[in-house]
Amino acid sequence: MKGRSVARPDNMSGDKGAGGPRGSRQAPLLVAPGDDLGDSGGLEAGHGVLAINGRLRALKQGRMSNRDGTVSIEPRRTAYVPRPSDLVIGYIEGCTSNIWFIDIGAPFNAILPMSLGPSKAEFGGIRKVLDIGDAILCRVQEVEENHSSVVTMKGMGLRAIRAGSVEDIDPHLLGRLIGRGGNNLRQLKEDTECRVVAGDNGRVWLDGDLSGIVEARDRLNALLTEAKVEEYRGDA
Amino acid sequence: MAIPLVPKLLRAHLAELAAEDQRHDGRGRFVGRDTELEINCLPRAEGSAKVRMGDTIVYAGVKFQIMTPYPDRPNQGGLMCSAEVRPVAGRNWEPGPPSPQSIELGRVVDRGIRESGCINTEDLCLIPGEKAWQVILDLFAVSDDGNLFDAFALAGIAALKSAVIPAERFGIGEDQPLDVAKTPVMCSYHKVGGRFVYDADKREELGGDERIHITLGDDDHVHSLQKGLKGIFTAAEFAEIMDQARLRCAELRDLIDEKLEGV
Amino acid sequence: MGGYGDVQCIDENGIRLDGRTKDEVRPVHIETGVVPVADGSARMTWGLNDVIAAVYGPMEAHPRKIQRQDRAVLDVRYNMAPFSTTDRIRPGFNRRSREISKVTAEALESVVLTELYPRSKIRVEIEIICAEAGTRCAGITAASVALAHAGIPMSDMVVSVASGKVHDIVVCDLNKEEDNYGEADLPMGILPNSGELVFLQMDGDLSPDQFQEAWDYNMKATQVIHAEMVRALKGGDE
Repeated sequence: MKGRSVARPDNMSGDKGAGGPRGSRQAPLLVAPGDDLGDSGGLEAGHGVLAINGRLRALKQGRMSNRDGTVSIEPRRTAYVPRPSDLVIGYIEGCTSNIWFIDIGAPFNAILPMSLGPSKAEFGGIRKVLDIGDAILCRVQEVEENHSSVVTMKGMGLRAIRAGSVEDIDPHLLGRLIGRGGNNLRQLKEDTECRVVAGDNGRVWLDGDLSGIVEARDRLNALLTEAKVEEYRGDA
Repeated sequence: MAIPLVPKLLRAHLAELAAEDQRHDGRGRFVGRDTELEINCLPRAEGSAKVRMGDTIVYAGVKFQIMTPYPDRPNQGGLMCSAEVRPVAGRNWEPGPPSPQSIELGRVVDRGIRESGCINTEDLCLIPGEKAWQVILDLFAVSDDGNLFDAFALAGIAALKSAVIPAERFGIGEDQPLDVAKTPVMCSYHKVGGRFVYDADKREELGGDERIHITLGDDDHVHSLQKGLKGIFTAAEFAEIMDQARLRCAELRDLIDEKLEGV
Repeated sequence: MGGYGDVQCIDENGIRLDGRTKDEVRPVHIETGVVPVADGSARMTWGLNDVIAAVYGPMEAHPRKIQRQDRAVLDVRYNMAPFSTTDRIRPGFNRRSREISKVTAEALESVVLTELYPRSKIRVEIEIICAEAGTRCAGITAASVALAHAGIPMSDMVVSVASGKVHDIVVCDLNKEEDNYGEADLPMGILPNSGELVFLQMDGDLSPDQFQEAWDYNMKATQVIHAEMVRALKGGDE
């Protein structure tokens, strides 16, 4: 299961643009944990699937599909597990004199050392740079075996978030939000005249006029509802 | 309970919305979430109710026990209110002894019901000085998405009003409905983005400030008040939410009556 | 297990107090998403049992002392609500609940792929809203559905059921009177796709043949209950 433990747009049943059945080559089948998915000969075990004793077995509940020989399951829900180079939106939960602790919505907090922060602070003045409760856009630099990570704000576009609103969606719905080739996201930005930044941890930053933010949020909620309805379509 | 981190961005955004008379879920300032009330839903309880307000879900169960009256009140039975918010109800509700938050919840809801005098504890006396009924109201949270106060209070009074004294099981005569003379109802207002709103959800509770709980009985009699958390409010702000509470409490009282009639 | 008094748990036609024959399972219904704020949840009504299970996690394992470097731990709490039984249960520490929490955790840890989340914990909250014999079995079963609903990877789900003996007759899925007055109780936790076991307790008196009969009843009942678990997950009530 190494390397396959997280539902990410790049190792799921469809490509980034396929949020549902249209991305799969076969009609999607609903499976539950423990279900036997057939002989494993010639097939790879993708997300949520285990190859054991020559058979493939479902480990999660959701829609199964076979894409280019990799059998995966798109689950109802996934916990976010950080990967290097992930773009994430985090909240400062605490700090020492030269490290910030960031809640990135993963089982473990991430660490932002001052050297990778937005600017250097005087000793004892770290909270003047980034305070408890501040929100930041940052990137995962490295991840330890136990999934705790180091993030950096050195990089293009990385910054403190001082305005707008951050919404939470399930990480596995990011593909649907972004759309094929980024189409859906682009359309959303145009229609609402908002900046929309989707973090890989399922947090989405909306920034702009209040009415634009409200509309963008409504459309996000509509997307979530649509996903819930589609979840149960398929062979029961 | 684990105190969650309050993102500054959330507070700023809620303030921006409040300035435009908006809430993050599109509700009006004094509009509550969809509210469902079900009674007689717990087969092993003598009275019961289940309340759903948005994604906040709670149960209330009434059980009767025989007690010995207290020496200084030999002609009275008892009413005990116990509120539990177990870890099932939310990520931040941690296991262990009751937190200050859940204790306050229980006590505020208890006062609202008890101080209304809706239950006459003298009626619960069986043999003065020896035997009396003790009415135990257990409030149980299943899902906490904000405003457990109002959910508990609504479920509590509905459960009491639907309760039947199990005299037969105790061999003390015939079963009879518990006499609940009034219907105290609680409405809670949270200061969010600088103004009070009704029925705050979890996000508004997280980004908000002080709260005020108002319990009104029949004919708008005031039975209990509680201000919680840090914050300063004016007499005018209070008068405004008091007006709102009168309207909403009446609506909830109608809802309770409607469900009881359907029995 | 006390004496029967004048309670006849099964009559001369083989019909039990709730109308079942000796090999039938009580009516079961499962729905998911009943605790909307949880990561996963399920409700199971089984006879008069009404059980809710909610899952939160994986999250950092606190307190430190329960953390394991190589895998996640299942932090299970089984609890009976005060109004779940005819005599009110005082809230607070309860030895029986603590034991059930432990064996439930051990059953579920046997199937959850905990090595994927080192140093984490997965909270499993089981609340008995209304009780009627076999609550520990209902708890384990509902928890399996809740874990699946939360997207926690498992090699199989666990189905738990207790068969036993009344008036020297082996019966499937004990109800309240049978549990109170009967002569044996055999709860098991079974993996439906392989027939393997992750949970086993027994008390009372069973001959070797009777033991085998009760065992077989549990195996058969597992298929019935598993079908409902799968229906709830796939069909959904969210």
